[in-house]
Amino acid sequence: MSEKYDAIIIGAGVIGCPIAYELSKMGYKTLNVDKLPDAGEGSTAGSCAIVRAHYSTADGVAMAYEGFKYWLNWENYLENVEDEKGLAKYMNTGSILIKSQGHDWKKVQKNYDEVGVAYEEWDNDKIKKEVPVADLHEFWPVRRPEDPKFFDEPAKEVEGAIFCPEGGYVNDPALSAHNIMRAAEAKGAKFIFNAEVIDIRDENDKVTGITLKDGTQIDAPIVVNVGGPHSFMINKMAKGVWEGCNIKTKALRHEVMYCPSPDGYNYLADGYHMSDGDIGCYVRPEVGNTFLIGSEDPECDPQEWVDPDGFYAGKGGKGKDNVLTDEQWKAQCYRLGKRIPSLEVPNQPRGVVDLYDCSDDWIPVYDKSDLPGYYMAIGTSGNQYKNAPVVGHMMAELIDACEKGLDHDKEPLQYKFKYTDRSTDVGFFSRKREINYNSSFSVNG
Amino acid sequence: MQIYVCVKHVPDSAANITILDKSRIDENVTFLLNPYDEHAITEAVRIRDTFQESEVIAVCIGKDDAEKTIRSALAMGADRGLLVSSNDDHDSIETARVLKAAIERTGEPALIFTGKESIDAEGMQTMFRLGALFDFPVATNVIKIDVDETRAVIDSELSGGNVNTYELSLPCVVGAGRGLNTPKYPTFPDIVKSRKKTVKKFIFADLNIEPSKASMSIVELEPLKQARSPKEITGDASIVAQKILTILKEEAKVI
Repeated sequence: MSEKYDAIIIGAGVIGCPIAYELSKMGYKTLNVDKLPDAGEGSTAGSCAIVRAHYSTADGVAMAYEGFKYWLNWENYLENVEDEKGLAKYMNTGSILIKSQGHDWKKVQKNYDEVGVAYEEWDNDKIKKEVPVADLHEFWPVRRPEDPKFFDEPAKEVEGAIFCPEGGYVNDPALSAHNIMRAAEAKGAKFIFNAEVIDIRDENDKVTGITLKDGTQIDAPIVVNVGGPHSFMINKMAKGVWEGCNIKTKALRHEVMYCPSPDGYNYLADGYHMSDGDIGCYVRPEVGNTFLIGSEDPECDPQEWVDPDGFYAGKGGKGKDNVLTDEQWKAQCYRLGKRIPSLEVPNQPRGVVDLYDCSDDWIPVYDKSDLPGYYMAIGTSGNQYKNAPVVGHMMAELIDACEKGLDHDKEPLQYKFKYTDRSTDVGFFSRKREINYNSSFSVNG
Repeated sequence: MQIYVCVKHVPDSAANITILDKSRIDENVTFLLNPYDEHAITEAVRIRDTFQESEVIAVCIGKDDAEKTIRSALAMGADRGLLVSSNDDHDSIETARVLKAAIERTGEPALIFTGKESIDAEGMQTMFRLGALFDFPVATNVIKIDVDETRAVIDSELSGGNVNTYELSLPCVVGAGRGLNTPKYPTFPDIVKSRKKTVKKFIFADLNIEPSKASMSIVELEPLKQARSPKEITGDASIVAQKILTILKEEAKVI
């Protein structure tokens, strides 16, 4: 390939695409390469695409809240670009956070106040009015159905909820990445697909480009790893990068279930996104009037770290491949069945199995690396979809600043949000950090 | 009235099936209640609820793991379960003899349901063999059933969508078809209730099944390799819809 690029971005998912978009707007000539056939077809497509603001840190809340502004003004963000596939839709259902022992909701509320997130406090009567199918007993702690105590009668009730009216979900996560790709292309960005990277090349301790499986070499002075669940494999291809990361990433298998809404309840039309730490689940409406049930990774659930290639090829074996397991189907559906006693649970599992690109502390790595010119936006751990447009802008500023001489490791970039009146210390996401024990160590972030 | 439902523990149709030694599948996949049997249980429970002092009993032959499938049937409303525990494969001749023995040791059936087929072997024989062994009338692919004290009036769907209506004297054997009902799946309270229900276990050898003079065994299993050749359908929505309709009618022949 004779064309020269300023930056090669490995991955065309919902984070790779906005990095290309923002860099292109700054004048960089970018190329995204992805081993799949189209934008957003990897783990982005398996994302629940939930847009909520409750995170365990104020910076986490601020970044998510900043993201709302992009999703609420999607066409504006895309500068009204046309996409032949149509535009993804932001389903602004509002977001319920059940006050329970499963979430540090007092910390969330404090963070909401600090950042200025709009929210309401709901008592249980209000929840019953809005979600008439709900049983508000407290079921804590989260257990598995194999544990006889799972079936114990509850006594107390939960303490109400925090409702964030701007929350919701995006109806088609793969399409949202495709939309951003089209917006990036309108700014000159290029994308190639079915192209698997097998080497990151360097010269004189500076990245020089990539080599594809078919032997093609593409040169650029900047390479950005946005490889999702393959991120650790890509980091290992780049000289000294893996070794230079104190925080590593790996691929975590994760199951999400579809269970039909109870008769007479139009969840798709009337339902909310709900995070319910009391039962270790989060839910949102899905087409076909079903509940999409995600897991908040309670401690009792097994974690399956897998080889992403074996997983996607369906060759990992039961519990390590991309087929739902009966055990997890029952665990998640029965947990929700406690909250919604009229929910009927079919015998055959239905849902999505995909991979999280998970970091050691479940907080992403948005950083440069020990190889000059090589950057990474990895370890998104199932909780960064909503932040993708913000991350695109932040990474572009980080890359631009570093290329212009900023020593980000010594003096971390302070990223000023476009819409929320706040800055964030990008050093928080450093590869060199110690494990952040303030993290929830779960998809909650 | 005792209503028996013969259920089978089958691999999930979504599982990645791997063939081992050319003659068996790798069973390290999810197994669940045969989908046609879900219709059978739902209907059995509906009929039970219209007759006083009646019960639904789920019967299964399989490895101990098959108790999970009986538990699914209990959660869907069956009252108790019978598991004939066996680690071996049994052909439909033997399976029917085993089911009959377990049923006879438990009571007197008025109705015996099966699914119209199992999604793994697709043998479609068990209901007929059961009927022959018991000397009961049999109907399969049943999409409607009305039962009174002495008879069942059923609609049986034939190929091409034709429907025949039959009257069967009780006791009889009925193979449930997909059109019979929408399966009623359990809620969490149903699951809690079903935990108290009992599953009685029989050991295969204890049933003293008379060996058959004839038998059937698997010689070789071969994975079905379907060549996929995707074609892009272009044009505006009405043209695309028309082309899809033509393909479904003329190539796939499903409508």
